[in-house]
Amino acid sequence: MGKELLKSEGGDTLLLLGNEAIVRGTLEGGVRFVTCYPGTPSSEAPDTFFRLSQGAPYYFEYSVNEKVALEVAGGATLAGLPTLCTMKHVGVNVAADPLMTLAYVSAPGGLVLLSADDPGCHSSQNEQDNRLYARLGGLPCFEPATAQECKDMARDAMLLSRKLETPVLLRTTTRVNHVRGPVVTGDLPATPYEKPFVKDPAKYVPLPASARVMHKRLRAILDGLVAEADASPYNVESGAGELGFISSGVSRNYLTDVLEEEGLVGKVRLLELGLTYPLPENRIAAFLSACKKVLIVEELEPVLENEIRALAQTRGISVEILGKSEHLPRLGEFSTANVRQAVRAFVGQPAAVVEALTVPGDLPRRPPNLCAGCPHRAAYYAVREVYGDTAVYSSDIGCYTLGFLPPFRAADFLLCMGSSISTGAGFARASGKPVVAFIGDSTFFHSGITGLIDAVAYNHDVLIVILDNRTTAMTGHQPNPGVDTTIFGENPNPVDLMALIRACGVEPVKVNPLNHKATLAALTELSKQTGPRVLVAEYPCPIHARRVGQAKKTLPARVAGDPAACLTVRDNLACPAFAMVDGQFTINAEQCDGCMFCVQLSPDLKPGKKEAK
Amino acid sequence: MTRARIFFTGVGGQGTLTATTLLARTALDAGLPVTSGEIHGMAQRGGVVESTLLVGGYKSAIIAPGEADVILGFELLETLRGLPMLRRGGFVVGNSEALQPVGVCLGRECYPPLEAVLETAKGFAAQVVLVPCISLAEQAGTAKAANTVLLGAAAACGALPFGVADLTRSIEKYLKPKLVDVNLKALALGAEAAKAGQAA
Ligand code: SF4
Ligand code: SF4
Repeated sequence: MGKELLKSEGGDTLLLLGNEAIVRGTLEGGVRFVTCYPGTPSSEAPDTFFRLSQGAPYYFEYSVNEKVALEVAGGATLAGLPTLCTMKHVGVNVAADPLMTLAYVSAPGGLVLLSADDPGCHSSQNEQDNRLYARLGGLPCFEPATAQECKDMARDAMLLSRKLETPVLLRTTTRVNHVRGPVVTGDLPATPYEKPFVKDPAKYVPLPASARVMHKRLRAILDGLVAEADASPYNVESGAGELGFISSGVSRNYLTDVLEEEGLVGKVRLLELGLTYPLPENRIAAFLSACKKVLIVEELEPVLENEIRALAQTRGISVEILGKSEHLPRLGEFSTANVRQAVRAFVGQPAAVVEALTVPGDLPRRPPNLCAGCPHRAAYYAVREVYGDTAVYSSDIGCYTLGFLPPFRAADFLLCMGSSISTGAGFARASGKPVVAFIGDSTFFHSGITGLIDAVAYNHDVLIVILDNRTTAMTGHQPNPGVDTTIFGENPNPVDLMALIRACGVEPVKVNPLNHKATLAALTELSKQTGPRVLVAEYPCPIHARRVGQAKKTLPARVAGDPAACLTVRDNLACPAFAMVDGQFTINAEQCDGCMFCVQLSPDLKPGKKEAK
Repeated sequence: MTRARIFFTGVGGQGTLTATTLLARTALDAGLPVTSGEIHGMAQRGGVVESTLLVGGYKSAIIAPGEADVILGFELLETLRGLPMLRRGGFVVGNSEALQPVGVCLGRECYPPLEAVLETAKGFAAQVVLVPCISLAEQAGTAKAANTVLLGAAAACGALPFGVADLTRSIEKYLKPKLVDVNLKALALGAEAAKAGQAA
C-alpha cells in the first residue's frame, strides 16, 4: 500500500491491512510525529509510516527501544504535536516506566499509544492482556475489530487525546492487526494541529506535591469520560430479549458471525464495546437491568467481566453474569468454533457437532527455520564445534532464537528482549558453568548493552556473541542505530558497535561468521579466557542485503564428490537448501543462497559452475 | 456461491499472501463484501503461512476446523495438514508438488505420498484437484508464479466465487507491469491443468 494512504481527500475505498488502516486513521487525526519499536503484530504500522516518510507531513523514527520511543513521543506531544507511538504488547513492559507517569504529565498535542497484543502467541513469548495497562496507567482505551474500525478508531483516539490532552491507548490483537478489509477513507485535516508549549513546571514536573494534583486531574478526566463512553457510537446495543451478550475487540466478530449462523440475531440482546475504558457504566447498567442472564465474550483476561460484575454489585442489579468457562478459556485465541459452543450452552442448545477430517498426527513438522545462507547458522555451527553440550546457551529475541532447534540447540533459556547477557551472567555466577550468550545487533542496542555494563562491572564469566546482521531481521528488516544501509540509502549516522563495546570495558573480537576458519580460531581463543568477552559475528542478513540492493551475485553450491560423504554436513548444518532426492544428498539450486559456508566443511561440496541456475 | 470461507496454506516465500490479497481485490471489484486474515511474523523463515479470505459478509477473519468451503494448498504436505479445516462437501485445490521440510531432508521424518493426500480428501470433499504448480509455473517462465497457477486452477474448477476472467482482470490491474505476462500465462496453465484433471 503506497501513496494513496497520504491522499488528502477521502472517499476512497481501499483494501487495507489493519495496521495500514491505523496509519490512515492517525493521519486523518492529524498525526505529526511517530515513534516506535517494531514487533509483530504491530510492525506494518511503523513500516508503512517509514516507507511513506520522505516528504510526508510527519517525523518518523525507529527508536532504540520502546521506553525511548515513548519518551521521545512524550516530548513531542509536550511540544504540542499530535503523536503516535507503536509497539507490541511486550514492548509496553519496556515502556511501562514512562507510561505510568505519562497520563499524569498529560499530552498537550495528543498522544496515541498503539499496543498490539498477541493472543495465541503467534510470534511472541507470552499473551499478556494490555487492557490492564489502560487501567494501571489511566489511559482511555479503544479496541477496534475490523480494518474500517482500525482506521476510524485510530483517528478518533487521536482526536479524543487532543481534546482531553491525555494519552489514549489503541489496543489491538494479532487478528485485528492482520485483518485485511475494505476501508472508506476520510479527509486529512486541512491545517496542521499544534499547541505551543507554555512553561508550567507545576503542570509537567511530577514532584510529589504536583504529582498528587496531577493524579487528581487524571481521575477527573477519566470520570468525566464515562459520559462520553456512554454516548460513544463505538458502544452499540442491538436486539431484544432476556438473554444478553457483551463483547469487545475481535471477539465481537466471532460473536456476530455465530449469532447470525445460529439464527439468534434480534432475538437476544447484544452490547458491543469499542471504547472500553472507562466503561460506559450507565449504558451497561441499563443493559444489565434489561437482561436476566448475560454472557461476556472477551479474549484473554476477564477484564470486562470483573468490572461488570462489580458494577452490577454496586448498582444492585440482580442479573446472572457468565464469562470465562470451559467454553471461553482465559488462554489462547477465540474462534467462531469456541464462541459457538459457549453461545449454544448459554441459550440452552446442545453442543454443535463439528464434522472435520482428521489427519495423521505424526506429519513432518515445518517449524520456522534460519534461512538458507543465514550468517547465524554459520556462527552457531562454530560455537557448537567449540563448546558442544559443555556450555549453557543464553538466548535472546530475534531470528537467531530459531537456533534453539536441532541441530544447534543453541538456546537453553530466554526471558525477554535484551536479557541474554544479564541472565547468562546470573546463571554463570550461580552455577560456575561456562555460558555463551547470544544477542543480535538490534537487541543489543535495545537493552542488551546494560547487561554488558553489568557483566563488566561485576566481572561475570560469560562469552557474549553478538550476531550482527546489520538489520532488525526478525520483525521485517527495519533499520537499527548501527546499520549501514536502509531502503532509502546509506545511514548517515551509524552508531559504532565496536567502539561502544570497547567503551563498556571489553576489547571485542570481530569475525565474519561465514569465514569458518577465522571464526573457529577466535572462538577457541575466547573459550580459554574468563570474565566478560565479546565476539562480534558480523555479516549482513542476505534478505536484507537483497532488499537494499547490496547483495552480491552468487552461484549456488553443488555436490561435486560423493553425496554420501556430505551427510555429516547435512546433519550438523541443516541448511534448508539441502534436500534428499531418491535417497541421495543434493543441494536445491533454487533455494541455495550461495553463502559458501557448507563448501568449507567438506571437500565433496564445491561452488557452482556458471550453467547451474 | 454467495458466502464462502477460503483457507490458504503454504510455505513462507511461496506467495500465499500475495495470492490472498489478489483474490480479496478481485472479490471487492466484483462487489462482494470481503474480510481476510493472515498470520506472519516468523513465516519468512520457511515456516507455514496460513491466511483466510471470507467472502459474502462474514465479520471474523479466521476459520475454525470444519468451516472452510475451500482449501487452497500451495504445498502438498501443507494441504494435507490443512484438511481438518474443510467442511464436508467443500473444495480442495492444491499443488501436487512438495517442498521438503528440514526434518524430511535429515531423514528424521517421512514426507507423505501424494496418494495419502488424495485418499484423505476424497469422500469428504466434493472435489479434489491437485496440479503441479511449480512445474507449470516454470513452464510459464518463473517458479515464483506457482501461486498464480493455483489460483487459475481454483477458478477454473468453480471453487471460487468468480472465474478466470475476473482473475485475468485483477492480474492486469494489480500486478507490476513486468509481471503481468508471465502471471497470465501461469493462470491459463493452471486453469487448463485443472480442467484436464477434472475431466480425467
Ligand atoms: S531473515 Fe536474515 S537473519 Fe533472519 S533467518 Fe533469514 S537470513 Fe537469517
Ligand atoms: S552455500 Fe551451502 S550453506 Fe550456503 S545456502 Fe547454499 S547450501 Fe546452504
